[in-house]
Amino acid sequence: MTTQPLAGTSRTSGLRPHTSPRRRPSWAPWWLLSPAGLVMLTVTAAPIVFLIYTSFTDYSQRSLFTGTYHQVGLRQYTALFDDPQFWQALLRSVLFTAAMVAGSIAVGTAVAQLLTRLATAMRLTVTIVLVLAWAMPTVASSLVWKWLFQPGYGVVNWLLTQAGVFGDMTDTDWANDPFLAYLSIWLLIVWQAVPFIALTLYAALTQLPLELQEAARLDGAGEFRVWWSVTLPFLRPTLMLVALLSVIWDFNVFNQIWLVSSGGPDSATTTLGIFAYRTAFVAFKIGQGAALSVITTAILVAITALYIRNLLRSGEDL
Amino acid sequence: MNNRLRRSRAGNPKGGALANAIAVAFCLVWVFPVYWMVNTAFKPRSEAMTSTPLFLPKSPTLSNFDAAINQTTFYRTLWNSLIVVGGTVLLAVVLGMFAAAALSRFRFRGRRAIMVAILIVQMLPGSALLIPTFLVFNRVGLLGTYAGLILAYVAVVLPFSIWVMRGFFIAVPVEIEEAARIDGASTWQILYKILFPLVAPGMVASSIFAFIAAWNDYLVAYTFMKDQDQYTLPVWLASFSTPITGTDFGGQMAGSVVFSLPVVVFFLIIQRKLVSGVSAGAVKG
Repeated sequence: MTTQPLAGTSRTSGLRPHTSPRRRPSWAPWWLLSPAGLVMLTVTAAPIVFLIYTSFTDYSQRSLFTGTYHQVGLRQYTALFDDPQFWQALLRSVLFTAAMVAGSIAVGTAVAQLLTRLATAMRLTVTIVLVLAWAMPTVASSLVWKWLFQPGYGVVNWLLTQAGVFGDMTDTDWANDPFLAYLSIWLLIVWQAVPFIALTLYAALTQLPLELQEAARLDGAGEFRVWWSVTLPFLRPTLMLVALLSVIWDFNVFNQIWLVSSGGPDSATTTLGIFAYRTAFVAFKIGQGAALSVITTAILVAITALYIRNLLRSGEDL
Repeated sequence: MNNRLRRSRAGNPKGGALANAIAVAFCLVWVFPVYWMVNTAFKPRSEAMTSTPLFLPKSPTLSNFDAAINQTTFYRTLWNSLIVVGGTVLLAVVLGMFAAAALSRFRFRGRRAIMVAILIVQMLPGSALLIPTFLVFNRVGLLGTYAGLILAYVAVVLPFSIWVMRGFFIAVPVEIEEAARIDGASTWQILYKILFPLVAPGMVASSIFAFIAAWNDYLVAYTFMKDQDQYTLPVWLASFSTPITGTDFGGQMAGSVVFSLPVVVFFLIIQRKLVSGVSAGAVKG
């Protein structure tokens, strides 16, 4: 999850005109494809089929040992739809994703814009700081977060107490308050997502033809107007890309929530991913967990379809 | 691109006081968690757990690193991680390169469908694969094995690796190959002397990506490797806290520093490539 910009690499290099690959029909491409194809069939395609199949069974912990389970038709799905916890988790996932994406994109865009206004030394400093935050593995950053927000010893609590705006926060337990647990995870995700977004948008901004901005200024447009009418439309394709990728990643966030709050307090931060994991691997209701995963995947595939349609529209040559 | 960059730099007012102030504030906030991790890693326990935090260790110590690395489980865990990461990188790059060559140097029926399939697979949530892969691996005895973990990671990394290397293959004009062929080069020579050097950066990019994905993964390893001597580094690191003794934050931060270091170094080296890669499409006129 930390090497996102390469996705951009692959996307943009696809924009190059095709250098007329060889046309003679041959079996060579199929031989070349078969090892990768075999791996993807056995470890991706087959499991997905199996996942859908499992979601129609009552696979449980016992089945893991005995291998016996029964077809239950749509019962796992209807049970989920009757379960208020499912709807809460779904709503949580959607709202949380929206909040994380909005926060990351807003800060990322601002930082990209900031980078264009900095002299070389300062720009390099900001870039290095961004790369440091970006490179931190999520396990490491989640553990650091837990430490930063530790009641009694956490430096964030201390800083906030010193600032005096919210009173004495020394013993505030972030993981034990639904809103604060969300807030700290939101901060963690935004902290880690901004670098990719900022650097990608900055790379796009360096390509902005200055003639356009100058022309707008000559026509008497103010700085905000220039940004809104010239810069923003120019950034739109890149913004769309990073927004869609962020939606997909943030909807799927697991590590950070699991390690920081484990879905608590009292399942207040239990998003769909956490809910599915708990159902399948803690309660060992594997059939039900499979149904949850199918639903989550369907939502993400719908978003992915949007993404691919977007690629095709932008002239990507597949 | 350099030309354009230079022009754009000349076009904007640079280093305004306000911009610099915002940049400094941003840097302070954004670097703080990293700084706090390193700061804590070098503090003796008595200085880490204080109600008034110390912004620099008074008596810096390596004891946290010692404690982390000298845990009997550390080397075993590191070894597990290295094997799994090595296997993932090797498979992802070799298989990815074959597939990318097929998809970029040949036109054949079904090519477009395969490209779309790869894109879809790349976007599939890893968590969707977790349950069925767990069940299948449980059945065939791959749970808790290196091979199982490597396979699971390769499945995640492969689409991306194909996608990246395909870009590099496409960038090599067929004319170069044709010219070499006219000059009498054999297919092997063309591959070895022309194609491989030109796609080498793509292999490096995919290896680094595969390395980082496998090195950082927590969820799959946490689910598949249940015995302590099967843990990989991220699982080991997260398991530092036990309900009985509580969390050893100094040790955990020291472990986090050690664990993050290779990734940070990679990112710092390839950062410019990553960013210029993103804009490459726009540069090309």
